[in-house]
Amino acid sequence: MLDLLYAVAVAPFRDMAGAPAFLIEVLIGGVFAGLMYSLVALGFVLIFKASGVFNFAQGVMVLFAALTLVGLLERGVPVLVALALTTVVMVALAFAIERLVLRPLVNQAHIILFMATIGLNFFLEGFGEMLWGANVKKLDIGIPDRSFIVRGVQINQLELTAAATAAVLVTVLAVFFQRTRIGRALRAVADDHEAALSIGVPLRTIWVVVWSVAGVVAIVAGLMWGAKSGVQFSLSLIALKALPVLILGGFESVPGAIVGGLIIGVGEKLGEVYWGPLVGGAIENWFAYVLALAFLLARPQGLFGEKIIERV
Amino acid sequence: MTAPAGPLLEVDGVSVRFGALVAVNRVSLRVGRREIVAIIGPNGAGKTTLLNAVSGFYHPYEGTIAFEGRDRTHLAPPDVAALGIARTFQNVALFKGMSVLDNIMTGRLLKMSGSFLLEALYWGPARRQELEHRAFVERIIDFLEIQAIRKTPAGRLPYGLQKRVELARALAAEPKLLLLDEPMAGMNVEEKEDMCRFILDVNQEFGTTIALIEHDMGVVMDISDRVVVLDYGRKIGDGPPAEVRRDQAVLDAYLGVAHA
Repeated sequence: MLDLLYAVAVAPFRDMAGAPAFLIEVLIGGVFAGLMYSLVALGFVLIFKASGVFNFAQGVMVLFAALTLVGLLERGVPVLVALALTTVVMVALAFAIERLVLRPLVNQAHIILFMATIGLNFFLEGFGEMLWGANVKKLDIGIPDRSFIVRGVQINQLELTAAATAAVLVTVLAVFFQRTRIGRALRAVADDHEAALSIGVPLRTIWVVVWSVAGVVAIVAGLMWGAKSGVQFSLSLIALKALPVLILGGFESVPGAIVGGLIIGVGEKLGEVYWGPLVGGAIENWFAYVLALAFLLARPQGLFGEKIIERV
Repeated sequence: MTAPAGPLLEVDGVSVRFGALVAVNRVSLRVGRREIVAIIGPNGAGKTTLLNAVSGFYHPYEGTIAFEGRDRTHLAPPDVAALGIARTFQNVALFKGMSVLDNIMTGRLLKMSGSFLLEALYWGPARRQELEHRAFVERIIDFLEIQAIRKTPAGRLPYGLQKRVELARALAAEPKLLLLDEPMAGMNVEEKEDMCRFILDVNQEFGTTIALIEHDMGVVMDISDRVVVLDYGRKIGDGPPAEVRRDQAVLDAYLGVAHA
């Protein structure tokens, strides 16, 4: 009994203190993974905030963006041009979704819009593979997957670049939402459609803007994940990892998506490395979901979500 | 452009139907510049429906609506707002998660312009613009005496204050025409007196034309220049408060009439 307690509550921390450089490496790995989760979660949050729709297709949008980018690169298009073209494609996609899916379904129940995004999910999956093929592809954007060592801590250049990019993107979006006219309009639409209309917010424009931004976020997420582990169908499954992030952070909160992502990224890496051996490993696979479950029981609105109080 | 002499708002023979139900039946009314017009009538008379038609939420089945002499019958709500018509809602439609200040700032949306990119970076002109609008909003906050609650999330405020914040948001748009749907519903006497004072002040200081729906007859008689009475979707009275008060059709609608 005492042995078990020691193994759970003392030994892991002793290990951490014993090899601080390694601990920092684990933490950096966690922060990297966390930022990646945040990026995907952010795509969900943006659309959910502006339209109350849970966009089931967000994961596939990441895959679609990555496929488009790789497809263009394979045809010899320079990196920057390919990025620009992919952005154009994602914005065009946003316009198409607004016109063909959202507009005909305006004022329908949320569940119907949700079903529509499931349809969108399958469409994009098939369409992407039809256009670019279903093989696993290597995404090379010219940042070497090399490591260098700073004070005994090994740092991967690709991960560092990805983390920095994600951090910049996330900061810009957070400021944009809190401080600007369009950001405020987005929040207004999320809060009350009628009131938003009455103060002159054009819903359609706002929808195109959020789906475009979500598309751009999908490009960055697809780029980072793709560079790390190749562009393949499983890329769309990272959406599943974004769910616990959303539950942790609150569905409507941009800072929540970021903090939630970091907690899950760091938590699962620490758990895997220091507590994994106790249960035979694979903590990384379930940590996020168990944490999300605990949150659902204790604080269903998430860390940053608004508590909903109904007046009876 | 010089202001034309005609009325600010002209509603001409407007009907709104929901299926077989005719909620508003060939109603015509005019609201002159700087006037305060009250629209009264029993429940279900079509007052809110008429207001919704004017602000573009419903579109008339027949008839026309003109603002500043131009037809705008079929415009959508955001475009109506862009013309200079602001409104409040019967059941308070505030952005509950946002602070009072942010709520009122949203009212400035149409007055703002700027580049998406600059805004994303919160830089240069975008930042300056934000500060200018902030200054204007602070004036409205002073005017409506809600300084103390500017940082409070709107959803946490008591009902009376929410109504006041909603008025502030509408005022932030510097509207030419302000539509108020039961601005005093559910308020106590003191809150009603405050609201009356604000409405009169808005009308006098900013020269804003106001059309309001109200049930409290005392209030209606006190503040309005003219009263329009609706009953079962039809207009049954239109004139100065003292006159409307003596009108037999109006009395019948309100007090009931013995049908032989």
